Amino acid sequence: MSLFEKIYNYQMIARLEDAGAIAVTAQEREWLSDMLRRPESEHAFSPSTLVKLRALAAVDDSIDIAFDENEHGSAPEAEEILEKAASQTVQLYHPLLRPLREALTRKTGLQLTYAVKDGSVRERQHGYPYKLEYSMVKREWYLLWFHLRNRSVMTTKLQNIAEVAAAPIPALQAKAAKKRMTAYYASKQQQAVIQIMPHFNRELSRILYAFSCFDKEVSYEESTDTYRITLIYLSDESDFVLSRIRFLGKRILVTEGDYLRKRMYETAHKSLMRYGVTP
Amino acid sequence: MARESFDKEIQFLRMLALTSGAYSRQQFADRLGISVHTFDKTMRRLKEIAETAGQLPKEEQSLPLAELLRTGYYESADPVLLFLFRSKSVKESESIRLSQIIIALQGIALTAAEVLQQCCDGMPEDMAMPDEKTIRSDLKYLEETGVIRKTQGSRPQRYTADNRFITELSDEELGDLYAFIDVMANTQIPSVQGYLLRDSLKKTLKQRAVAESSFFYKYHYPSRILDEAHLYPILKAIRDRKRLSFLYFTPKAQQSYGSKNTNPLFERESEGRQHTALPLRVTYDHQYGRWYMLCHSGRQGIVIYRMEGLTQLQESDAVEETEFEQKLQALQQKIRFSWLVDTGRTVKVKARFYNPEGSAANFVRDRVRLQGQWGMITEESDQTFIYEIAVNGTMEIKPWLRSFGSSCEVLEPRSLRQEFIEEWKELAAGYEPVRENL
Repeated sequence: MSLFEKIYNYQMIARLEDAGAIAVTAQEREWLSDMLRRPESEHAFSPSTLVKLRALAAVDDSIDIAFDENEHGSAPEAEEILEKAASQTVQLYHPLLRPLREALTRKTGLQLTYAVKDGSVRERQHGYPYKLEYSMVKREWYLLWFHLRNRSVMTTKLQNIAEVAAAPIPALQAKAAKKRMTAYYASKQQQAVIQIMPHFNRELSRILYAFSCFDKEVSYEESTDTYRITLIYLSDESDFVLSRIRFLGKRILVTEGDYLRKRMYETAHKSLMRYGVTP
Repeated sequence: MARESFDKEIQFLRMLALTSGAYSRQQFADRLGISVHTFDKTMRRLKEIAETAGQLPKEEQSLPLAELLRTGYYESADPVLLFLFRSKSVKESESIRLSQIIIALQGIALTAAEVLQQCCDGMPEDMAMPDEKTIRSDLKYLEETGVIRKTQGSRPQRYTADNRFITELSDEELGDLYAFIDVMANTQIPSVQGYLLRDSLKKTLKQRAVAESSFFYKYHYPSRILDEAHLYPILKAIRDRKRLSFLYFTPKAQQSYGSKNTNPLFERESEGRQHTALPLRVTYDHQYGRWYMLCHSGRQGIVIYRMEGLTQLQESDAVEETEFEQKLQALQQKIRFSWLVDTGRTVKVKARFYNPEGSAANFVRDRVRLQGQWGMITEESDQTFIYEIAVNGTMEIKPWLRSFGSSCEVLEPRSLRQEFIEEWKELAAGYEPVRENL
């Protein structure tokens, strides 16, 4: 079976959706049954649900054999695939995801006990949850939330949260908290322009891949054969943006974005001093 | 009919996602080696698929495709390029028939004759009615894909949609399942099947009025899922010990289908021509979100291809098990110390890392520990630690070391240390503050 099946065709899917019908293929179930075998699944479900799901997925094992004879049939996880240069996974499925997810969908307030950077603990702080975010770079979950008393925007690693309890707040207060969060993130949006040095245009693909994890727009000036990437990011992401810029080194140049330029200048200077070179 | 190939769509979407609006129609077409007419046609078709498959709201339908790919960067975890896998062409009559069958079999079991009856009732009046033979072959296809199954019991045979793992779950369980699929599809590879499943489940949640979890994932490489189109044929060939033949275009070239460039990184340069090779392993590089196919080729030995350069992939002859094993072992030996896929000479790289000043969290050390692969960390002083790794060549590890800026000082090899000094000099000059003329 191939990933390009008639059954996945866009018109088919639209017709099924209009009629409220579902079509799930054996290869999708196979993918699921493989994922259910991984240890993370134990944090994702109650024990009874997991038993049920694994049993339902196991029904499909009988189909496996028939499937392998089909074109392109294969089990999803494979020793044939090697993963390189990934960050080690700190946590994939955190036990707090379930209660926090519920708080998010029910739009209820929270009472949180958590550790801050210096290790000290904040107890039973009232807050309103905004987003659950996973960083593919740090391989960790973060809760973005609004601290009701301090009226401040918080980002807390799930790893650092010791306790969560629901603490209902009036709908009006929840709405105001959400509005504050949205406004905060909108105000934190930054823009920078990165030019690819034309000399390195042959590495264009690599450079564009490196920036493809950001919200960006690319422009091309034919007369000078020059590419420019306009990057849109949040100011708390500056350090990650900078690490990407350093990653590519002299292939690119930040042409607009005073803060990034200043930091790159400082880094270059400090690095040379490490090597005992006077700039 | 020849097997439908999606090479053009894959190349097209990749370029669109990576360069998002940089090129005019003519420039875009030139780079893909297609005519402007073909460009327009492909663009129209892909836009139609994206709109239909994504059930886009009216206000988004007027947006150009490149813009569509950008919307919701911060707002949604939907994989923007998934619609590629919805582009298989199906005749309208067949598409209506197949969906009629699936709709008829939701929640109940019917015989082929009953299915035929329901289909005839459901067909638009201006369409020809299906006959029993067609319906039987449709049922066979749907059974093969696993969408429907035969029920147990006496003849005549009955069929039903195989949605047990959805229908037998409570609303709460379904919510948990959706969250799990969402996390796994977004963080694990391969992910396309998970995303397809997520799509179906999302619709069920909507019908049952269960709120869907909304997790967000930062720093994804959206185009990584395009390569999964080639992944399964390659995995199958590896398991069947079969050679693959294909037309390869090195992504290093300025134009996807044109100029010749060499790639010093790999054992042999490979560009725009027919290749036959025995696939042994596939590598996914998390630094850029790119896929590689690692092969053995008769005359050249180990050859490494970027998956995005593969087109017209076809299975060829099989090799003996012993030959495959021998080639695989040779490859594994060669890539033991590859940071990514470099098979060059193994060198020892040694670097001193500086702990951050005035910060409680040692994020430098954390990052080296998490990303430094098999390298060893030894303490040196309160301010520094040493990182040592045996690695094939320095080219692939260099960007990673450089990304630490002044927190990393390369000690060995001397040549790499010298390269860093030269590069920081250049960067210092490039970022020199512009002085005002007084």
